[in-house]
Amino acid sequence: MRRRLGGRPALAVLLAAAASLAGCGGPGDEPLSAGPGEKKLNLYIWSEYLPQDVIQEFTRRTGIAVRYDLYDSNEPVLEKLQSGVADYDLVVPSDYMVRILIHLKLLRPLERARLKNFGNLDPRFLDREFDPKNAYSLPYVWGTTGYGYNRLKSGRAQDSWAPLFDPANEGQILMLDDMRECFAAALKFQGHSLNSTDPGELRQAADLLKKQKPLVKTYNSGDYENILAAGDVTYAHGYNGQLARIALRDPRRFAFVLPKEGATIWMDSVCIPSRARNLDSIYAFLDYIQEPEVNARIVNAVSYASANVPARKFIRPEILNDPAIFPSDEALKKCEFLEDIGEATSILDEYWTEIKSF
Amino acid sequence: MRRGSPVTAAYSWLVYVFLYAPIAILVVFSFNRGKQTAVWEGWTLDWYRSLAKNDLILGSVRNSLIVGAVATVVATAFGTLAALALGRYEFRGKGATRNLLYLPIIIPEIVVGAALVTFFGVLSLHLSIWTVALAHVVFSVSYVAIVVRARLSGFDRSLEEAALDLGARPVQTFWRVTLPLILPGVVAGALLVFTISIDDYVITSFVAGVGATTLPLQIYSMLKVGVTPEVNAVSTLLLLVTIVMIVIAQRLQQPPAEGLRD
Repeated sequence: MRRRLGGRPALAVLLAAAASLAGCGGPGDEPLSAGPGEKKLNLYIWSEYLPQDVIQEFTRRTGIAVRYDLYDSNEPVLEKLQSGVADYDLVVPSDYMVRILIHLKLLRPLERARLKNFGNLDPRFLDREFDPKNAYSLPYVWGTTGYGYNRLKSGRAQDSWAPLFDPANEGQILMLDDMRECFAAALKFQGHSLNSTDPGELRQAADLLKKQKPLVKTYNSGDYENILAAGDVTYAHGYNGQLARIALRDPRRFAFVLPKEGATIWMDSVCIPSRARNLDSIYAFLDYIQEPEVNARIVNAVSYASANVPARKFIRPEILNDPAIFPSDEALKKCEFLEDIGEATSILDEYWTEIKSF
Repeated sequence: MRRGSPVTAAYSWLVYVFLYAPIAILVVFSFNRGKQTAVWEGWTLDWYRSLAKNDLILGSVRNSLIVGAVATVVATAFGTLAALALGRYEFRGKGATRNLLYLPIIIPEIVVGAALVTFFGVLSLHLSIWTVALAHVVFSVSYVAIVVRARLSGFDRSLEEAALDLGARPVQTFWRVTLPLILPGVVAGALLVFTISIDDYVITSFVAGVGATTLPLQIYSMLKVGVTPEVNAVSTLLLLVTIVMIVIAQRLQQPPAEGLRD
């Protein structure tokens, strides 16, 4: 469900610089010494990530009033937390944004002793590079990046990245307008790690993407699923959630592929901003959403996979058995999180500029 | 009246179609039975019914109306006063004040948003619906001031002098002579502010805090999972409200002008 808006990250970083120059609060401040706080909870979460009845039941049970606002890309979360004056108690950023927020000291460490349902979480999704030992974040939902395709136009069942690089599909391909994701597709297709920093491998991947460019009808990270659904392209690179939804609606025409060579796995995590105050309400909510039945209700409503193991009993079979939503262990083993590749980022940046501008 | 050539007429019609066809389609599709926003599947009022139950959209409409109303009242008052000061009096720094007034219109919205959120941070002003209203006032005052100043430029000051000569106090003169004469400008400014406030996205997205999601923020956050015809329905209703407001505003503007001519 993630989406990156081109201009915002750079601006947000600028903002951080300006804010710290101005000596105003927010970044770098010690977490406020927070007491139990009030019986209310302010959530800032992706749209369509939390069904209303789940919230209502929480309020009924605990008497904690929940107010929530929605966003549709990670950057507003950074911007709100950096302002130092946004009163959110919980946010749900994606993996790479968790890394940035931790780095900017905008998150409050989790008190493991207060997380009664931590044991419900699948170890495969814990202790990842963006937050070792889950000091700050808990998995909420996760997904993969693959591609969706039009079965009628494609003519045969697909299972590999190959058709996205096949000259026969000229003008029928949509790629995410996202540097790391495009390189991930190319690197995986060529049998390398998508976090590769090897200059030779990166060069090869860049060459492949350059060769692919004339075949690509458009680079789009916004409404690629609609472009696929409208029949304007046959293959659309994208995140599983939106593409799976198209496929669920019209399985005769559309399918999602998690390529056999492997792909990106992403995760959105629940985190406590460093300035959050209503700690008792926060921990009550963190426990509540990891109760197996509650967690299953969330998964059933949003069609994204969670990391809660006992919840699987309560997840509707058509969701649990949909390989686009819950891929097999074997498929998942070949997937990798996008990690911070340090210096190599600037090499990719250069290649990407070349690819996009020639 | 001279008739234009058929080519000119056809051209004008095309311009109107270009401007209004998308709005007409939006309205028509709010009655569409299907969930797709592009394929017609028959008439229904279902989307209006489900809209009535959608707390998220209704809450955001309420927020937008509160912000719009506050911004309109405050910005119109201050903008009018600024226009009067600039149009009437000589004071030190007048040129600078005038130029500063244009600044919020010229500066890109994204910069205004970023600046405001930093400013609120420095003041430790917690983000809420009131910071949104405040931000909207900031960029709206200029519009009102400019519109009202334009109205003032053709103002016949002898009317005010006559009122004062006839014994009216300055305050009476303002309410009974000056304000009615510039009212069309003030109302136009107010309507402009309300319109801009209702559809602002960029600045609002920076300064909105807990529980301050406005309609544009709400619609934008829904894009991810597909805009439902509920959004068409709510847009149609807003369109209706706006049209009614403009008609009322035009009616209100007429009597004083005619009264003066008598």
